[in-house]
Amino acid sequence: MSATVLQARANLTLPVEADSITPDRIDGLQQVAVGNLPILYGREWAPLGDLFAVSGDGRADLVLEGDLTHVKRIGQGMTRGTIAIHGNAGLHLGSQMRGGEITVDSNVGGWAGAHMAGGRLRIYGDAGPMLGSAYPGERRGMTGGVILVEGSAAARVGERMRRGLIAVGGSTGDFPGARMIAGSLFVFGQLGPRAGAGMKRGSIVSLGSLASGVLPTFQYSCRFAPGFLQLYLRYLLRWGMPVTPAHLQGQYQRYTGDINTLGKGEILIYDQH
Amino acid sequence: MTRTVEHVVCPTCGCLCDDLVVEVDGTRVTQARRACPNGRTFFKSYDPTPRLPRVHGREVEWNEAIAEAARMLTQARSPLIYGLSSTATEAQRCAVELADRLGAILDTTSSLCHGPAVLAMQSVGLPGCTLGEIRSNADLVIFWGCNPAVSHPRHFARYSLPPANRRSRVAVVVDVRPTATSDIADLFLQVEPGSDLEILTALRALVHARPLSARAIGGVPLANWEDLAGRMKSCRMGVVFAGVGLTMSQGRDLNLGELFSLVAELNDCTRFAAMPMRGHGNVAGADQVLTWQSGYPFAVNYGRGFPRYGPGEFSAVDVLAHGEADAALIIASDPLAHLPSSSAVHLREIPVVAIDPRESLTTRIAQVVLPTACYGLDAAGTYYRMDGVPIRLRPVISSARPTDEQALQQLLDSVVRVSAGAVPTC
Repeated sequence: MSATVLQARANLTLPVEADSITPDRIDGLQQVAVGNLPILYGREWAPLGDLFAVSGDGRADLVLEGDLTHVKRIGQGMTRGTIAIHGNAGLHLGSQMRGGEITVDSNVGGWAGAHMAGGRLRIYGDAGPMLGSAYPGERRGMTGGVILVEGSAAARVGERMRRGLIAVGGSTGDFPGARMIAGSLFVFGQLGPRAGAGMKRGSIVSLGSLASGVLPTFQYSCRFAPGFLQLYLRYLLRWGMPVTPAHLQGQYQRYTGDINTLGKGEILIYDQH
Repeated sequence: MTRTVEHVVCPTCGCLCDDLVVEVDGTRVTQARRACPNGRTFFKSYDPTPRLPRVHGREVEWNEAIAEAARMLTQARSPLIYGLSSTATEAQRCAVELADRLGAILDTTSSLCHGPAVLAMQSVGLPGCTLGEIRSNADLVIFWGCNPAVSHPRHFARYSLPPANRRSRVAVVVDVRPTATSDIADLFLQVEPGSDLEILTALRALVHARPLSARAIGGVPLANWEDLAGRMKSCRMGVVFAGVGLTMSQGRDLNLGELFSLVAELNDCTRFAAMPMRGHGNVAGADQVLTWQSGYPFAVNYGRGFPRYGPGEFSAVDVLAHGEADAALIIASDPLAHLPSSSAVHLREIPVVAIDPRESLTTRIAQVVLPTACYGLDAAGTYYRMDGVPIRLRPVISSARPTDEQALQQLLDSVVRVSAGAVPTC
């Protein structure tokens, strides 16, 4: 068997904090030791084996099965290996991860990829709020890595992100890229209102429609075909995101802002005309 | 025989008016002079008659109720402690200790009203002042997304627009609809719902004379905002009172962050301050106590044995809506009346312990009800005014009921005994 399989024993309704479910912690452990890893179930520590049926010895590749909506912090801080989740995942999925890859078949909760510094997070369903963003009180959100969402993302995607790439196949909620410091955010569906509020640098690229106009503190700059976008879009196409030939060859309207901060951020809007 | 008590503090709202004259006949308040309608109702409707606690609807002795409450909370795997905005800081301190002992999630009503203002404060700071300074010095008073004429009826007379200074100050109201407050304003700017962030970012740009291409922002012509920016820069001292219209609309803490940044920048050219218009009597105190005890103002989880902060995760609304609590202790609050239905539904399904001087929707569904004394009426305690000034409340009538603090201390002692393996004594 090439992967360690963790099957949720029952529908978990109380919160479970499973930051021990990472390839870093599990790889190299025997099956019994994997089952003895501590996870926080409500306010009490419990052995992982009480909540998950463990198959196989510990490997760097993990497969999680069952509805994990209330299981938080899976893959937190991981640096290598893979985690494949067949079902929903809870809050803080892959937060602070520095390497490796997490794929999720379905939806994930808020703060997925928060403070992520490396690796790849791939979500085939929808993402909750604060995707790739910063925790309250922190100055920087995501500082590296790639987050790909095939569905939609809720409010405040990439808030305070400092580096890295987020691509959303569907729409976003309010305030995408708010207080962004740098990095790239691609939205193929509808870009949520008040994009880039308070952003300093970085690029927000709208390839679909706009929920509302840009903020008054963004200024129209020009209409052009940015060369660097082709490079990004080809990568995104390779990763299965819905890039069309028109996106590759089209013109983009550029708005710069937010003039209340550094003002070096940009919103690129695909010009469908 | 009727007696008169002077300099009574009204704990109804964040104003904490301390000039009331109360007449007491026996154990009932018959008059509350100078009080607003909210305060009068508070003082005159209170019945201090001792009541027995209830367990599953049955009246029992106090110790039995405490023991049952301790049993329910210690057996829970994910208990929630919520409320605290209408109780004294002494009780709030006990609640924090209890949460620590239980490993519980602790949240206050702050997360539902001005929590975003606290988040913004942590993010960009709050250029504040006291209400006394506003009363004496302000000549530009802006009410943004609040309606103190209804929610804080004596705010105008005591702090923001005192009659003696009314002619020398300009009152501006920014809101989505005409209100009782906009009726008395010198300038009313009716804006589109959800456009606060656009307006605040635009005002920041205008204050710095940065060019804007938009002709209208939030449904109001740009010229009006230019006029307001000019007034803000040229006033002797200005203040913005921020209401839940800012904290509960789209953007929430981002709105407040922009407002506080704007006010901070205005201090380059004049004296300007911002103040969240806190609603409940001691919700500001709850922030203070939780911050000095745990390091965080609300939405704190002690599950790992140390406090962790999680607005949006450990906030009562989210915890209950996601079904992530299996017991709740509600202190001096009525969440069933004001939480969203998705959260209230779960609260009905789990064991609830309610500590409250008055009957409420929550006490009706609670498995254990501990009727306590009311701070400011028959109990002494400390409340924090909306500007962060602590004010001591004195009792005006005597009662045999225990205070919230005493109830929580007994509950804490019982929890400690249960946790240590002792059988709870009835």
